[in-house]
Amino acid sequence: MSVSRRGFLQVFGTDRSAPLAGAFIAARGLEAHLAEARQGFDKTGRPLGPPMPGEVRISSNENPLGPGKTALDAILGKFPEAGRYPFNATPLDSDLVAAIAKKYGAKPENVVMGAGSQEILRNAVIELTSPALPLTTGFPSYESPTNLAKQLGHPVREVKVDSELRLDVEPMIAAAKGAGLVFFNNPNNPTATVHGAKTVTDFVERVRKSSPDTVILIDEAYHDYVTDPSYGTMIPLALATPNVIVARTFSKAYGMAGLRIGYGIGQADTMKRLAKRKMPYNVSTFSVAAAIASLGDQAHIDAERARNTEVRAYTMKALEDLGCKPTASQANFLFVDIHRPTKDFREACAKSLVMVGRDFPPFEKTHARISVGTMDEMVKATEVFRSVLRATTSTNGRQQ
Amino acid sequence: MALTRRRFVQTVGLGAAGAAAGSFIGARGRENFIWSAIEPTLHAIPPGVICLASNENPMGPGKTVLDAVRTAMGPEARFAGRYDFGGGGTLIELIAQKFGVKTENVVLGCGSTQILRSATQLFTAKDKPLVGTIPTYEECAGYAEMMGSPVRGVSLDSEFRIDLDKMAGAAKGAGLIFYCNPNNPTATYVGAKATREFLAKVNSESPETTILVDEAYFDYVTNPDHDTHVPIAVENPRVIVARTFSKAYGMAGLRIGYAIGHKDTIKKMAEWDAGSGLSSINVLALRGAIAAIQQPASYVADERARNTAVRDFAMKWFAERGMKPTDAQANFMFVNIGRPAKEFREASKAKSILVARDFPPFEKTHCRISFGTMDEMKKAVAVFDEVLKKKPAAAAA
Repeated sequence: MSVSRRGFLQVFGTDRSAPLAGAFIAARGLEAHLAEARQGFDKTGRPLGPPMPGEVRISSNENPLGPGKTALDAILGKFPEAGRYPFNATPLDSDLVAAIAKKYGAKPENVVMGAGSQEILRNAVIELTSPALPLTTGFPSYESPTNLAKQLGHPVREVKVDSELRLDVEPMIAAAKGAGLVFFNNPNNPTATVHGAKTVTDFVERVRKSSPDTVILIDEAYHDYVTDPSYGTMIPLALATPNVIVARTFSKAYGMAGLRIGYGIGQADTMKRLAKRKMPYNVSTFSVAAAIASLGDQAHIDAERARNTEVRAYTMKALEDLGCKPTASQANFLFVDIHRPTKDFREACAKSLVMVGRDFPPFEKTHARISVGTMDEMVKATEVFRSVLRATTSTNGRQQ
Repeated sequence: MALTRRRFVQTVGLGAAGAAAGSFIGARGRENFIWSAIEPTLHAIPPGVICLASNENPMGPGKTVLDAVRTAMGPEARFAGRYDFGGGGTLIELIAQKFGVKTENVVLGCGSTQILRSATQLFTAKDKPLVGTIPTYEECAGYAEMMGSPVRGVSLDSEFRIDLDKMAGAAKGAGLIFYCNPNNPTATYVGAKATREFLAKVNSESPETTILVDEAYFDYVTNPDHDTHVPIAVENPRVIVARTFSKAYGMAGLRIGYAIGHKDTIKKMAEWDAGSGLSSINVLALRGAIAAIQQPASYVADERARNTAVRDFAMKWFAERGMKPTDAQANFMFVNIGRPAKEFREASKAKSILVARDFPPFEKTHCRISFGTMDEMKKAVAVFDEVLKKKPAAAAA
């Protein structure tokens, strides 16, 4: 291991003009690469380990470019402080809270950091639901809150999405009554659809009226990728309204999925309930530094949105041309009717090293979730989709 | 953008080559290592200030780990943007290998903090108290209070060690015993034999009680009666061992630790945190830890020897001045300075030496001081000499 790593350093040190593909293999170390390639897939069909050379990893709604240079420089700059706890390092973890608060005209007590927004979601479910206080959520929607509530034995009211695969607002309002927590993922993962600001504001107002003790958690993980002009963040509403929390993450447009950093924002009294459950030192020194640096680089996020929008439009059109209709995607992924079981499609694509999303019931017989990679990756991916989808092996109705 | 990124890769190459050729000084000397300017006014620990407050490893994680962190960023640093669905498994395999246990005996945490919290969550309740010494590391007690589980505090013996008889007494009917050995903040250590007997006693007297043995400072112990309790934990569903990469491995900033125990206990912990390795641990920590744990045994032995030399120096310095430290077996000491910790702390801070916060009930007499490098300790004792020469404010009043 150490030998191959030294090899990697030498290659990088001496062969600086090597084309990227070469650098890629060198960077991983062939041995490490093979070890990881052997890891295969987890039980839900997600590929393990970093992408292999030539692999198009469009299964987890990641930013294919990773963090921006500002963030990377910040991480490298923290190497001398790797041995220091985040509360002793520079910038401090509390500096990040202050920077986020400042961005939204809020105070530090309005912000709670998480090891990814995952921790915010988890702690909201643990704190706000109970056997008597159900979770209300979309179906399908991001499953983490649903899975945890079920594991805890707390009831879950899953409200099926509407005919356009958007969160179905009216029945969700009804199902929110008496709930401990409403999880409102906007844009919604995996269906990629979004609701406009007016709809969400009305939703919050009506739930507040019919069920004032219910906390509404609006997960805006994909916020930075939305281009629909009717959309708007609910952070100002959360800051102005009791029992409303907005969750954000650095895992998507900020490209830091591997760094585990996200936050919740809302009124101080609401956030206290999450703050008391926050894991101490949950965000690493590197992640804190990268996040602070990124917050000061809005141009990078704007460029990432533009890049994603272009590739998203290209991919949507390619799929439409194949007769496969995607939903109105407002995220960095598509949810598309492929007229066959996801598993068949996923496995066929994987043979060409194109990795698409796992099953999302109740649409696992018809739809696939496809993340938006780079343009090069999507050109390759759509070629593979073309050959897979045009293949005569219609598996409709086949037993799974 | 592409050009800038490529330049970044080249810079990494140069930096790495430089570090490979030189010693690890490169990683400590910010000016030699940094590639882009960081706002110097943002320093939590300003340059020139010596931090002896948080039981960190002043050497940091070392070149092997930092190289792995850089590699983990991947080509053009793209891997930092990927969820790591595989690193957890690899690290668990390596930990299992190191201890001669099975992967089913290991669970990862975001620091051992997450391990401590999971155990408290799972094994305490309103009718199943937490038992811990006073003082000890507070994470379990804080979490238990938040949950509404009662906390039973047990005082230390006259040597500031865990009082095993009192602890066993308090254990009856308890859900969880937090057994921090060496104990933070008192730095004392209970020998392996006495601990084994304690575990057996609690098992027989209070069979429903789980004991969490926190071995965070394990690598710094030099007491000859020293052994890990991992072999007991894998056999006994009521014993869990917590470990961290934050101390001897110098990775406090990366946030990664683990627990080893019986497969049924570990399964419960893993389920509670939804396979915590995936959701809360960052990829740089995972890959850093994978490299850290594969270092030859000499890595830990060298770090222990380095710490022991500094510890001997610092303890002798205080003892010679009539200030008795406890028998420190960790990378910090707990010493009777004959005055409030706050007074000593603030006076030292004014001279750029940071020591630890108050640890009641000893905040009027004792201070916890972490060990820096030998150079840092020599500077620190020069400051302590000035500060401690002055009569305590309480005595003067």
